[in-house]
Amino acid sequence: MKKWIKILLIIAGLGIAAGIMGYIFVYNKSHPDFENLSSDYALKASELFTEFKVDAIKAQAKYNGKMVQINGQLMNKELNDTMAIAVFVFEQGMFGDEGIRCTMLPTAVDNLKVTESGAEVVIKGYLTGYNEVDIIMEKCSMLKSE
Amino acid sequence: MKHLLIFVFFLAATFQVTAQKYITKTGAIQFYSEGAIEKIEAINKQVNAALDIKSGDMVFKVVIKSFEFEKALMQEHFNENYLESDKFPNASFVGKVINIDKMDFSKDGKYEADITGKITIHGVTKDISTKGSLESKNGKITGHSVFNILVKDFKIEIPGAVVKNIAESIEITVNIALDKLK
Repeated sequence: MKKWIKILLIIAGLGIAAGIMGYIFVYNKSHPDFENLSSDYALKASELFTEFKVDAIKAQAKYNGKMVQINGQLMNKELNDTMAIAVFVFEQGMFGDEGIRCTMLPTAVDNLKVTESGAEVVIKGYLTGYNEVDIIMEKCSMLKSE
Repeated sequence: MKHLLIFVFFLAATFQVTAQKYITKTGAIQFYSEGAIEKIEAINKQVNAALDIKSGDMVFKVVIKSFEFEKALMQEHFNENYLESDKFPNASFVGKVINIDKMDFSKDGKYEADITGKITIHGVTKDISTKGSLESKNGKITGHSVFNILVKDFKIEIPGAVVKNIAESIEITVNIALDKLK
């Protein structure tokens, strides 16, 4: 085989390999393993809520898109066929309860189900934002309940 | 900030004047587009929505980072490059069901709703009019609407390299189940 054909085949092979790697590791990469991500911040749920109430823009810049661990008293549980939400309540407002709403990971749903409302809990999750009523956390897991 | 203040003022006014308010904090908004190469879809199930059944006033508040995609890379691009969710963390709709006076929510029934208002996405506010449905059943009100928006109307820039993959028009589907505010 001529040398230039070999070089072309090697280049083509490398290109195909790069394409496959790109598809697997970049284009088709998996979502983060939220349950095992470490927290960027850990604080009381009430302190987090106060930060957003005092200066929502500053708090959003600080916490949106971060893993946040909060501890406090679980006030409500909202359970349905597709979602399980742990709710911390600190105020009453135009939408009723105002506080922090944590949508649990599928692996954490049972933990929430067996936790009594009123229990002190530690929950970690991905903070997506604040809608002027509640702080929204997704992909949450229960680290501790008592 | 201006939109936030308008939203809060509107909500405050709405909720102080009358008592017939229905709300949800788990509304679902889904978007879908069929590009040349693949479909793009995402859903947000933590949408706040409120409806005043006397005046027809309606508000939605959406946290952009709560949209979930099947592919992580799409979700990254959506937040970082297209919607710029760090800069514009929320979307909203403030408007009215203009034919609400023809609906009777004291009994079960389903009605076609004419909805008009202002939608804010990516920091851009546009007037919008669309149709939907409102159904009263067992004390709850469920709402449904499907409408389209154009990406360019909201100054969402698509890089030239992928512009053919992303449709110019995005289909938005809204589903809400509202409970009476206690």
